[in-house]
Amino acid sequence: MAESWDGTLSSTEFYVAASAFAQQWRKFNSSLPHWSWLPSPNRPPWIFHDNQVQRDGRGEHRYDFHVVYSASYRVPVLYFRAYCNDGQPLSLDDIEKDIPVNSAELITRSKWTFMTQQEHPILDRPWYTLHPCGTSEWMKLLINSDASIAQNPVTVEKYMVSWFSVVGQVFGLKIPFEMLDFAAT
Amino acid sequence: MADQGTESILQFAPFQSAVDEGFWHRLSSLKLNKLGIDDSPIPITGFYAPCSHPHVSNHLTLVSESLPSESSEHFRPEIIRGNRNRCPVPGILYNTNTLEGFQSLDKQSLLRAEARKIWEDIRSGKVDEDNSVLLRFIVISFADLKNWSFHYWFAFPALILDPPATLVGLKPAAQWFSVEEAESVTAACNDWRNMCSTTDVPFFLVSISSNSAASIRHLVEFDACRKNGDKVLFGFYDPCHLPNNPGWPLRNYLWYISRRWSLEKVQFFCYRESRGFANLELSLVGEASISNSQDSRNDQNMPNAVGWEQNNRGRKAPRCISLAKTMDPTRLAISAADLNLKLMRWRQLPSLDLNVLSSTRCLLLGAGTLGCQVARMLMAWGVRKITLLDSGKVAMSNPLRQSLYTLDDCLNGGELKAEAAVKSLKKIFPAVEAESVIMAIPMPGHPVPSQEENSVLEDCKRLHELIDSHDAVFLLTDTRESRWLPSLLCANANKVTITAALGFDSFLVMRHGAGPLSSSPEIKAKATNDLSAEIGALSLKDNIKGQRLGCYFCNDVVAPVDSTANRTLDQQCTVTRPGLAPIASSLAVELLVGILHHPSGIFAKAEFASSIDTGSEQPLGILPHQIRGSISQFSQMTLAGHASASCTACSSTVVEEYEKGGLDFILEAINHPTYLEDITGLTELMKSAASFQIGWDDETGDEDDFVEI
Repeated sequence: MAESWDGTLSSTEFYVAASAFAQQWRKFNSSLPHWSWLPSPNRPPWIFHDNQVQRDGRGEHRYDFHVVYSASYRVPVLYFRAYCNDGQPLSLDDIEKDIPVNSAELITRSKWTFMTQQEHPILDRPWYTLHPCGTSEWMKLLINSDASIAQNPVTVEKYMVSWFSVVGQVFGLKIPFEMLDFAAT
Repeated sequence: MADQGTESILQFAPFQSAVDEGFWHRLSSLKLNKLGIDDSPIPITGFYAPCSHPHVSNHLTLVSESLPSESSEHFRPEIIRGNRNRCPVPGILYNTNTLEGFQSLDKQSLLRAEARKIWEDIRSGKVDEDNSVLLRFIVISFADLKNWSFHYWFAFPALILDPPATLVGLKPAAQWFSVEEAESVTAACNDWRNMCSTTDVPFFLVSISSNSAASIRHLVEFDACRKNGDKVLFGFYDPCHLPNNPGWPLRNYLWYISRRWSLEKVQFFCYRESRGFANLELSLVGEASISNSQDSRNDQNMPNAVGWEQNNRGRKAPRCISLAKTMDPTRLAISAADLNLKLMRWRQLPSLDLNVLSSTRCLLLGAGTLGCQVARMLMAWGVRKITLLDSGKVAMSNPLRQSLYTLDDCLNGGELKAEAAVKSLKKIFPAVEAESVIMAIPMPGHPVPSQEENSVLEDCKRLHELIDSHDAVFLLTDTRESRWLPSLLCANANKVTITAALGFDSFLVMRHGAGPLSSSPEIKAKATNDLSAEIGALSLKDNIKGQRLGCYFCNDVVAPVDSTANRTLDQQCTVTRPGLAPIASSLAVELLVGILHHPSGIFAKAEFASSIDTGSEQPLGILPHQIRGSISQFSQMTLAGHASASCTACSSTVVEEYEKGGLDFILEAINHPTYLEDITGLTELMKSAASFQIGWDDETGDEDDFVEI
């Protein structure tokens, strides 16, 4: 990608990037639920990853994560929801108790990960999301500040991995180091 | 549970239900748009899959596709087969219209009726074709669509074996099979699960030949397998994760097996997965012993059934789920409106104080062209407390220019404007705290007949109280004189006051200065620190030049009188270019937001676009005193005017007179056209100074351009 790159992806690039991401995830995170494509004719492309189970003293909480391409911001957007076993949705307060302490701070302070409730573009129901209006900016920063990229131009395939290394952190979903490494080659 | 070798009663882990909120969303819209009060049972489809987590059981799940879609003709859910994580299970939903109806459902007979279907499917051989009918379930529910809460209760009917089956042995499958068998079973199961046609068939046979080669077969092939001399196990997708109990599907399965093949010993295989592959460490193999008494073979007697689910506290009671957060349109509108403002704060204006905006109580005097537009702009900025005052009714000509009204508001003589406006505001944003006040503002120069005096005085008192109980007041009436009393009352109460006035193609928007008897925090601080007691004593009286900004009347050399008398209709009514009111209204609201965010608030000095000495630049930009604009020139300028000692509304003479005389003073002013000019010295002034010039800063505003409307 050229220096003038603005941190965004076309929908075709998103398809390539997300497919590569799902494949690598399967390889390096085999113990976690996998990402799969969902057919959505005439709608933005998206992948999902349902039923991440978090267990603690208060019972099981289920997390569903969806990544939907935003045509207006030209970036991937993470949508998620959390609910108890019987389907009762968790409030934002409950969710904040589930996620790592430093992420909770990140959410309240950082302008990169602005958590809000919005209509899921495919399901048409309100889901939580990390608002995408800063994404292209920080993706640009993230990719341009990576020294190794100066030598090896960034491939579209690496986009999603880098992106998820930031947004996944919020939920304590860490990207295995090998995955970043793999993506760079 | 059972120790190896010693027989005990076989115990099953109950099925657990999970309802995705999408199910309730679709049920709600079905109920509202299609079913109405029709409460006949609805066929639904539940989904389950083998357990895939070592510590968590799989649930029977209802999702939005579990319900028929509104447009479906046959009113049956449309099920896409072949999804490995969604084995379809037929169910039935009894959704009642009332909570009482829900509570009084005869659960025992519902359960029995559904169990009878299973029993009949077993007898008729239907199970051989579609074995998922063994898992039939019931949901009873009451959808409280006013509160977005849903009461529901699942039942998974299980036919009771009498006497109950006993357990001969139960082990992890990996220990039961030989290594070769285990390998072959794993491969065969994975093939079965990967085949589109079999992946969602939850009951099957595991047939192991003498050379340890395993294959997965359909149930109907049992006799063929047995004839081959194969070892045959009855396999099923087990949703349960427990190491010592098979899951609920085995109950009806055993009943079916014993009825279909009259077996006394049944080897069963509880199929479980991890990461999408067969896992024989988690899967179980057991042997159950069923005594085939005459009774159970008797076709005429249906066995008893059990199966109502416990709630999440472990009690035999219904569950309740609340979805107000994701379904209540008011709450959704609030969060969406907040989002817009928060984004603004986040991206552009970190110092934007949304709490100040939402807690500021605004009083709008006049609900016409300006009032409607100001109210809308206030809401857009996150202002939530709005009171609209007007005495008029919505006329046929209003809706085009007055953006809160429609033709409906004009019918039957027209609704009261203030009330129609409040209704409209709530329609636009249900969380707004809008109130209406129906009253006319007493005006000087409009004499009051003595029999009406009391009611006029009552109105004055009421206006006084209204202004006291609000934080900001907008003067948006259509005559100059109707702004006089509010200007005076605001100066007296020292409230943030904003005036918008329209000419044919020009407008004025201004904020009034602080009241004459108030003292700014800066001056106060100065007074306590400064050695000169003189300054403190002088406070903010009019004789300190340049301190206090003027009000709407400060630049006038005549007191307000009846401006509608002797005017033609086009001069009385809103004859103004339509674009003017929205522009002026928007500026008025932006001015308020500026004041609320300025550290000095109502005492803030006038700032100009060109001023270089402001030093303390505010994130929202400059805070002017007056904005005058002209559409004919497409121009706009900021001006400042200081408070006049002879002002008929905000001078200390008038305010002190009001404090002393109260309502008597008001009555005097209303009934005697020259009274105000006399006490403020304007009469004197006009006589003596023909060359009187108002202290505009640079430009001279030409008041005569303004036709008051």
